[in-house]
Amino acid sequence: MSVVHANGIAMHTAQLVPTTGDPEPPTAVMIHGMAGDSLASWYLTLAAPVGAAGLRVLMYDLRGHGRSERPPTGYALHDFVDDLHALLRKLDVRRPVHLLGNSFGGTIAFSYAIRHPDAVASLTAVESAPPTTAWFQRIALRLNTVHSVTNPGRRAAAARAFVEATSVARDLPASPLPGDQAIAAISCPVLCVYGGTSRMRDLTPQVRRLLPHAEVAVVPDVGHSLLITRPAAVRELVVPWLLHHTPKEAVS
Amino acid sequence: MGADQASVLAEITGMLRAVLGAAAVGEDITTDTTFGHDLEMESIDVVALAGRLQARYGDTVNLAQFLAGLDLESVRDLKVGQLVEFIADARREVAA
Repeated sequence: MSVVHANGIAMHTAQLVPTTGDPEPPTAVMIHGMAGDSLASWYLTLAAPVGAAGLRVLMYDLRGHGRSERPPTGYALHDFVDDLHALLRKLDVRRPVHLLGNSFGGTIAFSYAIRHPDAVASLTAVESAPPTTAWFQRIALRLNTVHSVTNPGRRAAAARAFVEATSVARDLPASPLPGDQAIAAISCPVLCVYGGTSRMRDLTPQVRRLLPHAEVAVVPDVGHSLLITRPAAVRELVVPWLLHHTPKEAVS
Repeated sequence: MGADQASVLAEITGMLRAVLGAAAVGEDITTDTTFGHDLEMESIDVVALAGRLQARYGDTVNLAQFLAGLDLESVRDLKVGQLVEFIADARREVAA
């Protein structure tokens, strides 16, 4: 595994570099979800098809997750955004990146696009939303109820261990949010993909209102675990869209 | 099993010990050992194994590509022997 030290923590990363010979291919950064998730959710689903389309794919475990370092504190939204920025600088990624985020990973992507608008070529959010108050209330609820899951599976157990070992349940809900005006100022191409039976669908009217230029796609008969349960459906939506928003000369 | 496959199996066994810990793996990894049921590998362990394969064999062995064709249940059912075959084939193609 490849560990990169950035923003003061050791971050576990994985990369797929296309063999097309382009010395500086466009970069897709894939960001996983909160509590119990890891870069594996992307590695085992969209990383290979996006890499095969000619993009360099960068994945990393968020702080406190997977095989990245787990500092006891520092889990506000801006900490996750700072980590991504530091990682891209450390890896010397200079061209605007295509950000792909699953669940809370998408929220990091939206927040990064607000903070660094010139550094983002496009944004794909799977089962996610920009950093709105409504969405953060749901995240807080989830973090506060992670203890009460009876007979947790592996993923729920990992989520619980993370919440118990860190200040995330305090830090994240208390994060300063950028506000609707800043969200509405996001101008890069945006694709939002939702599961038809997911409760995230409640948030789509607000996403459409704040980001009228965003394309919204719905995969029927699937919930929040859309990415890992229906990877082929997500791939068929995302890969052509990404290529459409990548300059032709950039991919072979 | 050819000599190449036997040496790949030995190398994969070493990598699995490094990723999962020697105690978790035990002595008896065979071509029939499954990722999920026998080794109880989590998806992040599979990624760690992929990283080691990439470091050892370079771009000739693209485990991400191999795994992308499988759903998560099939990854759990994956046998070490299938991985050995995939690696041996990939290396043969490069050598040819």
